[in-house]
Amino acid sequence: MSSSPTETTTVDIVMPQMGVSVAEGIVVAWKVAVGDPVAADETVCEISSDKIDAEVPAPASGVLAEIVVEAGETVDVGAVLGRISTAGGAAPGGAPADGGDGGAPADGATAPAPREGGDLRRTYSPVVQRIAREHGIDLAEVRGTGRDGRVRKQDVLAYLERQRAGAPAADGPAAAPAEPPLHIESPYIPEPAPAARPAEAAAPGGVLSAMRRQIGAHMKRSLETAATCTTWMEVDMGRVEAWRRTARVGGRTGMTALPIVARCVIDALAEHPALNATLEGDRYAVHEDVNLGIAVSLGDDGLIVPVIHRAQELSAEGLAVRIRELAARARARELTPDDVRGGTFTITNPGQWGAIMATPVINQPQVAILDLEAIVKRPVVVEGPDGTDAIAIRPQTILGLSWDHRALDGALAAQFLAAIRRRLEQWDG
Amino acid sequence: MTAQTATRPSPAAAGTRRLTYLQAISEGLRDEMRADERVFVMGEDIGVFGGAFKVTDGFLEEFGPERVIDTPLAESAIIGTAVGAAVVGMRPVCEMQFADFISCGFDQLVNVAGKMHYRQGLAVPITVRLPSGGGFSGGPFHSQNPEAWFMHAPGLKVVAPSTPADAKGLLIAAIRDPNPVVFLEHKHLYRRIKGEVPAGPYATELTARVARPGRDLVVIAYGAMVHVALEATAPEALDGAQVEVLDLRTLVPLDEAAILDAVRRCSKVVIVDEANATCAAGAQVAALIAQRGFEHLDGPVVRVATPDVPIPFSPPLEQAVLPSVERVREACRELLAY
Repeated sequence: MSSSPTETTTVDIVMPQMGVSVAEGIVVAWKVAVGDPVAADETVCEISSDKIDAEVPAPASGVLAEIVVEAGETVDVGAVLGRISTAGGAAPGGAPADGGDGGAPADGATAPAPREGGDLRRTYSPVVQRIAREHGIDLAEVRGTGRDGRVRKQDVLAYLERQRAGAPAADGPAAAPAEPPLHIESPYIPEPAPAARPAEAAAPGGVLSAMRRQIGAHMKRSLETAATCTTWMEVDMGRVEAWRRTARVGGRTGMTALPIVARCVIDALAEHPALNATLEGDRYAVHEDVNLGIAVSLGDDGLIVPVIHRAQELSAEGLAVRIRELAARARARELTPDDVRGGTFTITNPGQWGAIMATPVINQPQVAILDLEAIVKRPVVVEGPDGTDAIAIRPQTILGLSWDHRALDGALAAQFLAAIRRRLEQWDG
Repeated sequence: MTAQTATRPSPAAAGTRRLTYLQAISEGLRDEMRADERVFVMGEDIGVFGGAFKVTDGFLEEFGPERVIDTPLAESAIIGTAVGAAVVGMRPVCEMQFADFISCGFDQLVNVAGKMHYRQGLAVPITVRLPSGGGFSGGPFHSQNPEAWFMHAPGLKVVAPSTPADAKGLLIAAIRDPNPVVFLEHKHLYRRIKGEVPAGPYATELTARVARPGRDLVVIAYGAMVHVALEATAPEALDGAQVEVLDLRTLVPLDEAAILDAVRRCSKVVIVDEANATCAAGAQVAALIAQRGFEHLDGPVVRVATPDVPIPFSPPLEQAVLPSVERVREACRELLAY
């Protein structure tokens, strides 16, 4: 686009399209200062859209010549964020320019270490790469204790431990790691807290993170917009509890109750489609597909609601796989904006801590949200086949439904909860 | 169907006794014959002589010649007869005097028994006992581990216990299974291995078993190699490394969930076969891990197996080809350091 009369040309850095339906994004932080050298595909800045973070790679090698959009500003997709000047000789910033003869850059003369090539110490196994990806670790900083200095799984886990413990992660001898903090299934199963991104959040006091501000604005708007009521219903989870322990999902035995509740919700929505709906202003729309949002905790950072599109096509096992996958991607910050769009109903499931009731806030513009809390064994009165009452120990839960009184009335909310309960109590897969 | 932890025999009637692997097999067979009159045994010299290894010693006296049948030296006839009996509702248990001789009955087992259900919809609940394995200078005709032949033949199940409790429980499970089951009992374990065995009949589920839990590496093995793996990877022998040992117990069905679960936790894998290396059970396990455990690996999948040669008569040569404690330990040491 732009050019200059000298032999140096500039290349624009633009706000990328992060999903088909995204129109704008916010620059979160610049990773490179004006005047610094950058290599092609190196991250120059971080951007965010709808709580989805992304990194913008340098479109070319050169020097960052100009920052057009400062951190904190929101611009449209396609807007120019900054410019990189590419010198003819492509000499990296600090290198003495006179030594080069204008041809290929002199390898090894300057700081940027060759990342690829014959160095086996920097060939990483699949599990090491995956842990690094999930926790945002730069493997170049991890000291390897394997053969020829190879980075092993225990090295990266030890590095992670030190990072968590707050030490500057400098490399000491690799201590024996604890249980590897890998796969989690859903928000329902406790997991080791994800490594907080070093720079952001966490610190008490200070300014709210971009994500917290967005969550706050969204929740406030919901409470101001909707006429929110909450209805509770007790459910006997005996059949669900028995079934879920032996269910086979993705090669493993056992699943949480969440996918089963999700499947029953989907069926109950087919019975009461008025709740699979959105209300914007006075425009009320019932949807054919159930695009089911599942709230996923991101630890200290906040909360995000990835959406399982066309969830009605999935079995409980299929839902379990999708939930696990979305939760993992959410925690790895790999969701795309399309993953969080188009929800028609939401389930939130913070039951792992033992809370039994809550009043969830509706995810606008949807008209209802279901809250699944802990499943607790309680003495309850049951009726035997001959009509006599007895006290039995049953796993019980309390389903909470927050619903928008503008769109529906309490009778429907109760009928809907009863429809879910009926399915859960008769569950047989 | 994930692996059960530690040595957990299935619950049964109260009371366990310390039995050899051989006694446990014998007891499993006897208990099931007492419990189910459809069960009968056939084989060479199993009646009057009580079997080459004495598994059926005393059976003729207790159950009579109609249920304890001495046969001619004709494996094809033994298995063919069993197939016919099974189709009309019996539960035959055939003994091959040595696993090596199963090749004479191969057609009846692989082509007739294994495919009957698919061709005619008929169940063939036969059990074929194969005294297998080497380690005692039996030479090329009396030392083989032919399990992979049958893993490759659809319609057959293949089980290979390593402990007395599993030998009894898996034999009873095999007899009760509606499919033809190849039951590999390792000759070298017969009198060497003792363990607690519950009294009374019980069936052990066809799943893998964690013989010793660990975290730094997993050795996957079955049959006699489970004991080699346990000895090779004792923590004091490997600088305190915590090595898991997964006892497959069943090769068909293969407990894929247990294998992948172990890979996920340990990330490094050594697979031990006493069988010849090419296309052995361990090759199938390695392929499974390569395809579905890739993301969890922290090193190459290492196999230790017998080279592709017949088992030599010569004791030193035999010891040189069979996977030894030292070879397995060295493979673990190399991989742990990788």
